[in-house]
Amino acid sequence: MAGQDTLDGTNLPLVVTALSNEMTKSTAAGEATNPKRAQFGALGPRLKEFDQSSASSRRASRPSSPPRTVVGIGGKAPKPDYSEAKIVVAMVGLPARGKSYLSNKLQRYLQWLEYDVKVFNVGQLRRKRARQSAEVTGKKADHTAAYFSYQNDQAMQLREQLAEESLDMLIQWLKDGGNVGIHDATNSTRLRRSKILERVSKEPGIVVMYIESFCDDPAIIAANVALKVSSGDPDYKNMSKEDAERDFLNRIREYQAVYETITEEHLSHVRIVNVGDQVTMSRIHGYLQSRIVFYLMNLHLKPRSIFFSRHGESEFNVEGKIGGDSLLSPRGLEYARALPALITDNIGKDTELTVWTSSLRRTIQTGSFLPYQKLTWKSLDELDAGVCDGMTYEEIEEQYPDDYANRDDDKFNYRYRGGESYRDVVTRLEPVIMELERQENIMIIGHQAILRCLYAYFHNLPQADLPYIKIPLHTVIKLTPKAYGCDEERYPLPIGAVDTHRPKPKTPANSSAIELPISTSARDYYGDKS
Amino acid sequence: MVGPLFTTDSGLLYHAGKIIIIAVGLPARGKTHICRALERYLRWSGVKTQVISLGDYRRKTVGGAQQLPPDYFTFGKKSAQTAAVRKKVKDGCEQLILDFFDRGGQVAIYDANNGTRASRKEVAEKFEARGIHVVFLESVCNNNDIIEANIRSVKISSPDYRGWLPEKAVADYWSRIRDHEKYYEPVEETEWPFIRIFDVGDKIIVNRIQGYLQTKIIFFLMNIHNRFRVIYFARSGQSLIEHSYKADSDLSPAGWEYAEKLKQAVMARRAEALKERGLNPEERRLVIWTSTRLRSHHTAWPFVAPISTLSPTSMHGTVDKNQMLEINPGVWDGLSPEDARRLYPEEFERFVMDPYTFRAPRAESYHDLSVRLEPTLIELEREQEDLLIIGHASVIRCLLAYLIGLPASEVPAVEVARGDLIEVVPTSYGVRSQSFHFWSGPGRSADDEGDGDRDWEEGEDGMGGLGGGTGGKNFYENYAEDTSGKRRDSKAESEWEEFEREHHENEKGKEEQERDHDEHDDGRTVIVDSV
Repeated sequence: MAGQDTLDGTNLPLVVTALSNEMTKSTAAGEATNPKRAQFGALGPRLKEFDQSSASSRRASRPSSPPRTVVGIGGKAPKPDYSEAKIVVAMVGLPARGKSYLSNKLQRYLQWLEYDVKVFNVGQLRRKRARQSAEVTGKKADHTAAYFSYQNDQAMQLREQLAEESLDMLIQWLKDGGNVGIHDATNSTRLRRSKILERVSKEPGIVVMYIESFCDDPAIIAANVALKVSSGDPDYKNMSKEDAERDFLNRIREYQAVYETITEEHLSHVRIVNVGDQVTMSRIHGYLQSRIVFYLMNLHLKPRSIFFSRHGESEFNVEGKIGGDSLLSPRGLEYARALPALITDNIGKDTELTVWTSSLRRTIQTGSFLPYQKLTWKSLDELDAGVCDGMTYEEIEEQYPDDYANRDDDKFNYRYRGGESYRDVVTRLEPVIMELERQENIMIIGHQAILRCLYAYFHNLPQADLPYIKIPLHTVIKLTPKAYGCDEERYPLPIGAVDTHRPKPKTPANSSAIELPISTSARDYYGDKS
Repeated sequence: MVGPLFTTDSGLLYHAGKIIIIAVGLPARGKTHICRALERYLRWSGVKTQVISLGDYRRKTVGGAQQLPPDYFTFGKKSAQTAAVRKKVKDGCEQLILDFFDRGGQVAIYDANNGTRASRKEVAEKFEARGIHVVFLESVCNNNDIIEANIRSVKISSPDYRGWLPEKAVADYWSRIRDHEKYYEPVEETEWPFIRIFDVGDKIIVNRIQGYLQTKIIFFLMNIHNRFRVIYFARSGQSLIEHSYKADSDLSPAGWEYAEKLKQAVMARRAEALKERGLNPEERRLVIWTSTRLRSHHTAWPFVAPISTLSPTSMHGTVDKNQMLEINPGVWDGLSPEDARRLYPEEFERFVMDPYTFRAPRAESYHDLSVRLEPTLIELEREQEDLLIIGHASVIRCLLAYLIGLPASEVPAVEVARGDLIEVVPTSYGVRSQSFHFWSGPGRSADDEGDGDRDWEEGEDGMGGLGGGTGGKNFYENYAEDTSGKRRDSKAESEWEEFEREHHENEKGKEEQERDHDEHDDGRTVIVDSV
């Protein structure tokens, strides 16, 4: 059966037939067009003529329901309606089983897809309350293992209260318009879980699903424990590493004594054993729920790095044109030649790496010297500028000044006529993210808008800022996923290139680009960073 | 969630290697339903997949139940004769699977009971030794009502029970199940990768599943269901510029009229269909999907009544999906076929040779389109309500090809006329589709496409270059209707293609049988999946 991109790239038209001199019959009155120019591109007069001549047909719609119209080069496309999605995700699992890791990943993924997501971490609430009370009373609360003992009635009651309080806050937040509230706590007993269900059932339109992270692989637990005691947890402030570790292990033991794994068949739940070795899902109904489960199934903890690079400077870059399928400029080619040394120096010669490019020639050319396996993704193609493809920003501004301002006003939502918006690109890239999560070392040679979207996912940047993220030419960005975010390094190569970044206009003083997030992989212990 | 598709030297996709999915489960647990659905999905994604059913093989080589020794289906010690027949059937069937792999197949789905640990181990080791990845797929169902319904609807119409009284056949089938139950061992061998599905997806357990294709399979299985529903397809109304992808033009006056007619047609047909099934229309919702194109979005407009007149039962949700945009013609946008041929002679030649795979410069191939549509397809499987998809010919073509189970290379050949309402009803082992003609106005056939844009007909002079059918308008999208989408080269078919074509013809034969059957038993197929 036919139907695949061949690795040798034979599907890609690498030969451009030179036809520019050939005179062809004009397709519209008085327009001596380049025959290869898009018939309804925004550069020619046809599009405007068409919009004017067809104005009358728009009256055919019923007056009670005025339809959308598109004239000019595009318009804002609204965000899909997610208001019906209201889910409580209750985490289940002993300490150091990666619950917070999963919560954070899930939050990042769903936020990237524009769901409103918030993690309600009971530990954070406890520390915050303790800090407040310490400020008032001057006495530091005892949060050693003894506090977590099931025999400590008073503390048990306190902790129960905190969990309930945190759930109430979560539900209120959902009612105020949130989509997915993640209750990040141990929820380790049947009783506690049934209480959550009872509480949530009182709220019409809100459903609960449980995610249990079960782990009996000593290596994974040890790694999580080490991370916990070395990452500045305030519970272990002023404690030696050994003491902290001992106390933390005792805390786990206290929980273990009463822990009940999920066996309640009636609960909508997914149980993940040793980060995906075995997964059980029960009564997972609903679109978003199945997306969540599938996402979690694709995660892994193996150390790896992800490299992003834009293609080398292209001919269109030099001419200031957007879109197109041009080849690299001489400087772009120089970058492509310099790339292999940079990458192999960085990860070592024998490390496995797969290179993903788009189906456009400039990315394929940029990757052509890399000594690794290369795959071509159609979904990595640059944002489709529709009727504006092949124009310069100056031309757009000149021909369609209003539209141009409009796009700057709300770049994320702006969809080029016959093309895409940034949101459309995010939708298109979702399968790429899923595959990226499953893979190990990957290098993506992509385009500005594409890498902005992918970068925003890894650093959890808001959609409004996304179209302004600075991804310069001739620079390799290395991301290393950690438990609570990504570490980043940038390697600019000293090969000149034009600057294709257009800063966000009309904003207070020189916010020309989104600043790099600082220390993004550190854990937030008090819940006051966001 | 589909990834990049690419072939390796071996012709296999996703670097996934060869996979055998061994179905496990007692009789009447819906194994065959799951196997067939999976086969349809994988084939549509371009993976060479084949269900090989032990029951079918046995009937073909040995005959129906009447020809079998009496102890064939009972458990316990078998007579030497029975044991020999069983072994012959099993070996023959497994040889068929090996042949399939030898001929370039990638995923074999072995549809048999495989009810004991020992038998599973034997099969699994046999294939693993040949470097084939093994996955067990168990369907578990302990709800007697579901099982009984399954027996009544599917099993007793099997050739095994030809000429039996229904009640007697049901009783016999139950006793066959009881016999199996005595020795049945559920899949609990954690050393092997497995997927266990309980009560049609209510609960799913997944063990040690790794690899891209395997994960895709799980996601698919998570989303299928067997609730009765109807899927309707219709093209969007005629637009002002039919032949431009970029212009995103609005409906022509005829297009608006079409939209009203479409609503009437859907309402009337749906009322009829629900009545036939004895379903209360008040309790059923109709969900409408469109693309983000103006003409598609606006064709749905009549369904969205002004808020003031909305009654709860007439509520129709419409969702516009960016993934459902028509196929992107790239640099050929707005060109007549003549112009395309003249300006891009080399590419045009390749396009004519292979319209499914070939990607014009900056354009999408049908394959690219299928990849882009996959998330939509999963949502389509997941949707429980009746669905109306108002889309573009190329998109409907892809989705329809999936539902009907056509091989990928035939996707461009699916005909979708504007003015036909296509109704697809998923059944146990496939779908039943019908089409209803409701509009003959402008834009109906390719010949008069473009009636609405009189001012823009200059480009039409190149029409007819493709054997005089499809208009010059939008020829990339509609090319297939003119040429039936077939490759025009006479190169010898690869062994695989031959194999697939044969299989497809068999399937067609089967469909015809089913149609004969329709009159008697409501269109269900007649495959019994036990040995």
